[in-house]
Amino acid sequence: MEFVSPEGLRLDGRRPMEMRQIRGEIGAVAKADGSAFFEMGNTKVIAAVYGPREVENRSQQISDQALVRCEYTMANFSTGDRVRKPKGDRRSTEISLVIRQTMEACILTHLMPRSQIDIFVQVLQADGGTRSACINAATLALADAGIPMRDLVTSCSAGYLNSTPLLDLNYVEDSAGGPDVTVGILPKLDKVTLLQMDAKLPMDIFENVMQLAIEGCKAIANYIRELLLENTKQLEYRRGP
Amino acid sequence: MKVMHLFRFLKLLLFSSLEVVLGNKTLKKMVSANVSGDLSSEMEVDAFRRLFPLRYHERFLLDSIRPDARPLGRARDTSLALGAVASADGSALAKIGCTTMLAAVKMEVMTPPKESPDEGSIAIEFYMPPICSPLVRPGRPAEEAPVVSKQLSDTILSSGMINLKELSLVSGKAAWMAYLDIYCLDADGSLFDAALLAAVAAFSHLQIPVVSLNEDGRVVVVSEENEEGKSEKEPVNKGKRKLTLSSLPFSLTCILHKNYILADPTAEEESIMETLVTVVLDSSGQLVSLYKPGGPVLAYASAVQDCIALTRQRVKELKSILNEAISDMEVD
Repeated sequence: MEFVSPEGLRLDGRRPMEMRQIRGEIGAVAKADGSAFFEMGNTKVIAAVYGPREVENRSQQISDQALVRCEYTMANFSTGDRVRKPKGDRRSTEISLVIRQTMEACILTHLMPRSQIDIFVQVLQADGGTRSACINAATLALADAGIPMRDLVTSCSAGYLNSTPLLDLNYVEDSAGGPDVTVGILPKLDKVTLLQMDAKLPMDIFENVMQLAIEGCKAIANYIRELLLENTKQLEYRRGP
Repeated sequence: MKVMHLFRFLKLLLFSSLEVVLGNKTLKKMVSANVSGDLSSEMEVDAFRRLFPLRYHERFLLDSIRPDARPLGRARDTSLALGAVASADGSALAKIGCTTMLAAVKMEVMTPPKESPDEGSIAIEFYMPPICSPLVRPGRPAEEAPVVSKQLSDTILSSGMINLKELSLVSGKAAWMAYLDIYCLDADGSLFDAALLAAVAAFSHLQIPVVSLNEDGRVVVVSEENEEGKSEKEPVNKGKRKLTLSSLPFSLTCILHKNYILADPTAEEESIMETLVTVVLDSSGQLVSLYKPGGPVLAYASAVQDCIALTRQRVKELKSILNEAISDMEVD
């Protein structure tokens, strides 16, 4: 099947280096300490952060650090066929672990000992790149909750189909069987915190694809930064003189 | 068209929280007698609210008002957006104040049981994922979730809103199974009301997909690309259809406290004043269900009559909100 037409257009009309339309909103869940809604194309995700709060299981309390927990769930209606087991299955557990470790690396946990930070991510609509959308939403939610972090974490995926590196795969391109490289970076510090790939890829092409994904991450980071600035301005305005 | 839905969906998520913040601020200035505007008086009000919640609320009730400036009988701002989930056959996002519910219907074909070969079936599930409230944790599911789930299931099936015979495809061989999943995205009181509104809206938005019999005699969903030129596959049901819904149920939850009746409680009010009464009326004004699960306040019949009267008014509001949302969809 042809994923990149001879004119250089993908199945949904994008260019190979073009990302899907992204949109983020802060404060989606009123009850949470911090929350955000993030979408990349048709993938829509809500993240909520509760914390720092008291550890519910005393035996898991860490005396010099905060405990970070993360849970990734998909809504039953999020994919084309109704998902029977939205959480507790292997994929959800793996993604929960990945998100937790990624965010834990950038949260300044030593500032909040003996406490717990819960990150909950709910996928409302899945169209490829849910992992990346979840990490971006979690970053926004953590910022909204005022939890101290070393830097933002942004994530994007890239692939290689029809001999072309493609940025931000959707579900059809992802299930085509080509490689899927997901990268998560700390943009200001310019460090890579998450890097996952499946399928085979020659080394030099891998470097190109990874570089493309990193460019995507930086673009998302710029957008998130603007969003947070706008949000802070609004908070300041609402607070009054 | 999709961009419009997106925008509405997002706008709804944020709309109410802004208003609540502004409302609270003006109220704090009202409550603290010395309107000095400094932070210490605001913190004292917050501390009083946390330490003595009942007395805090009763101060407001004496003036027949509530902390968010609502009169006792008024419900919070309600909004609806249909078609929030593009991948589902019917969906709706309902917001009552900050309480947000996302409902989606997905249709699958199944073989009907022998006792009712001409009827389809509906399966209703209500979920409270941990994002909705600080009290819900992964190891500790919310105790309201199965209660609301059962209430919803009973109310929708017993109200007769959906005629199960409409869900039949080929008598005895194939019928529709409609899976309705409702997710609570933000739990701030009146969960049942918001969930019922979302469920009714999702069914109003539902469009049954076109199916046809393929060579094995199985019913298969016809995707839009194959519609032209496939005359061997005769659709079993012509065109995407909507369900005819009769007597839509709408509800209102009230709290009884001493001799006050508070309509549409927030989560804070529900946790301190525990006697809830939920009344479900259908669009023709008939009583569908009444639910008062115990509670410290014992109600005379007059209190229940007052609740029913409040619900009647609320049903009118909800009907107009639903009709507006449906006509918004059709304009697009």
